[in-house]
Amino acid sequence: MSKDILVIGGGIAGIQSSLDLADMGVKVHLVEKLPSIGGKMAQLDKTFPTNDCAI
Amino acid sequence: MLDVGRHPNIDLLAYSEIEKVEGEEGNFKVTVRRKARYVEEDKCTGCGACKEKCPTVVPDAFNEGMGERKAIYSWFAQGIPSTHTIDPNYCRQLQGKKCGVCAKTCQAGAVNFEQKDRVVELTVGAIIVAAGYDVFDPSRIPEYRYDKLANVVTAIEFERLLSASGPTGGHLDRPSDRAIEAEIEALEKKAGKSQKVIAKFEEQFGQASADFYSSFQKGEYKDDEERNKWAEKYKEHLEIVEPLEAMKKKAEGFTAAKRLAFIQCVGSRDFRFYPFCSGYCCMHSIKEAIIAHEHGPETTSTIFGMDIRAIGKGFEEYKIRGGNHSNITYVRGRVAEIQAGPDNNPVVIYEDTKERMVKSEEFDMVILATACAPTKGIYELADKLGIELDAYDFVKTSPLSPVDTSRPGIFVCGCAGAPMDVPESVAQASSAAERAAEIAFYGDARKEKAVA
Repeated sequence: MSKDILVIGGGIAGIQSSLDLADMGVKVHLVEKLPSIGGKMAQLDKTFPTNDCAI
Repeated sequence: MLDVGRHPNIDLLAYSEIEKVEGEEGNFKVTVRRKARYVEEDKCTGCGACKEKCPTVVPDAFNEGMGERKAIYSWFAQGIPSTHTIDPNYCRQLQGKKCGVCAKTCQAGAVNFEQKDRVVELTVGAIIVAAGYDVFDPSRIPEYRYDKLANVVTAIEFERLLSASGPTGGHLDRPSDRAIEAEIEALEKKAGKSQKVIAKFEEQFGQASADFYSSFQKGEYKDDEERNKWAEKYKEHLEIVEPLEAMKKKAEGFTAAKRLAFIQCVGSRDFRFYPFCSGYCCMHSIKEAIIAHEHGPETTSTIFGMDIRAIGKGFEEYKIRGGNHSNITYVRGRVAEIQAGPDNNPVVIYEDTKERMVKSEEFDMVILATACAPTKGIYELADKLGIELDAYDFVKTSPLSPVDTSRPGIFVCGCAGAPMDVPESVAQASSAAERAAEIAFYGDARKEKAVA
């Protein structure tokens, strides 16, 4: 029985899942196919409806 | 992102792909291929000295191909991990030519052209699929002429143009104007070279080229070989300079895009492509129009849509605020066609359903709110994971268990499961994390329960 979790995809969803699990004390392996995590959200300038910076 | 890089409980495997998945809930054996970056991850400090010196210029995928990067690159400036990567399709050294400039520049000695892919075996209790989505390719809708008209762009391309870290530094320069400016730059380089050649002749004969050329054209110096060469070179020079001057004059009139059209439901709510509503596009069009207005207060935007779906906390107020304070006009109607107009201005042909009239209007730029399409890699990934996809190729879930896939122990969140915006993705991600944590903490108990 392994207690580790694998997360596939390092966009906003994968990042959030990984952080939640890691903060609970679970070991997470986060696999991203591109050179850096961030996904589509990192490409955005601002987010609605608050116009907060996306990065 | 930074927290992910630093967290002691997160093992970040970037630039990696899933190769094979075996086993079952509580005990999955996963093979991960760590692709060769040709840069040692533990040595690279991310300083970027290598990419300054790299001679090979490549279109920047992070900026949707609108900017440039080098063959050795970081995906984007604030990227985590900051480790640089060599693109083997473009790198001169890896293509068998002589180079290696980056390796000589790197003080950390991190560049390693001999690096090979590595295979890592992991044993995990549960898997979360957060593979995301792809932007719908609008060239599949020929009447919108996305691939023919430079100033028709997708929303994510427009997002990069608005971004201060984007290819224009946040200035709303039109792609057609940028193309002309790039051409001017290239021609200026060429003109500079030919100017040098001519200057040598001018020095040799002590005469200005223009004076010489007018007398040459009258028939003088016909037998002088050197002067014939001079005339030929001067003619070539004029052929570069004359269009260059015309282009420069045109470029003087270039201003930031001020009249913007946003077209909704490009690929979504369209029975030829995806019948579903992508959900977030109405809001990102409003957002982009508001931000464009912040960049230039004289900017006006028209949003063409069947209806504006502002469903979410604070969304309706945002829409009204855009209309009242950011020069946004909402037009109810579906755009039939985008045509080429004067000065590279796209012309939008649409039906105004309120007035029941077919109208046309010229804009500086048109932004297409493209559908949320399933990511291309999902077929292979779903196959490896043994999970089912739905009718549109998103990961199959059911309404009462929206993060559970068809296989126990594998969960999904974000746009891999269905189109959704950032707040919803974050909420689902936490939900999927909780489902996975049940296995991590109570896996044995769950198994016993299942047997009983």
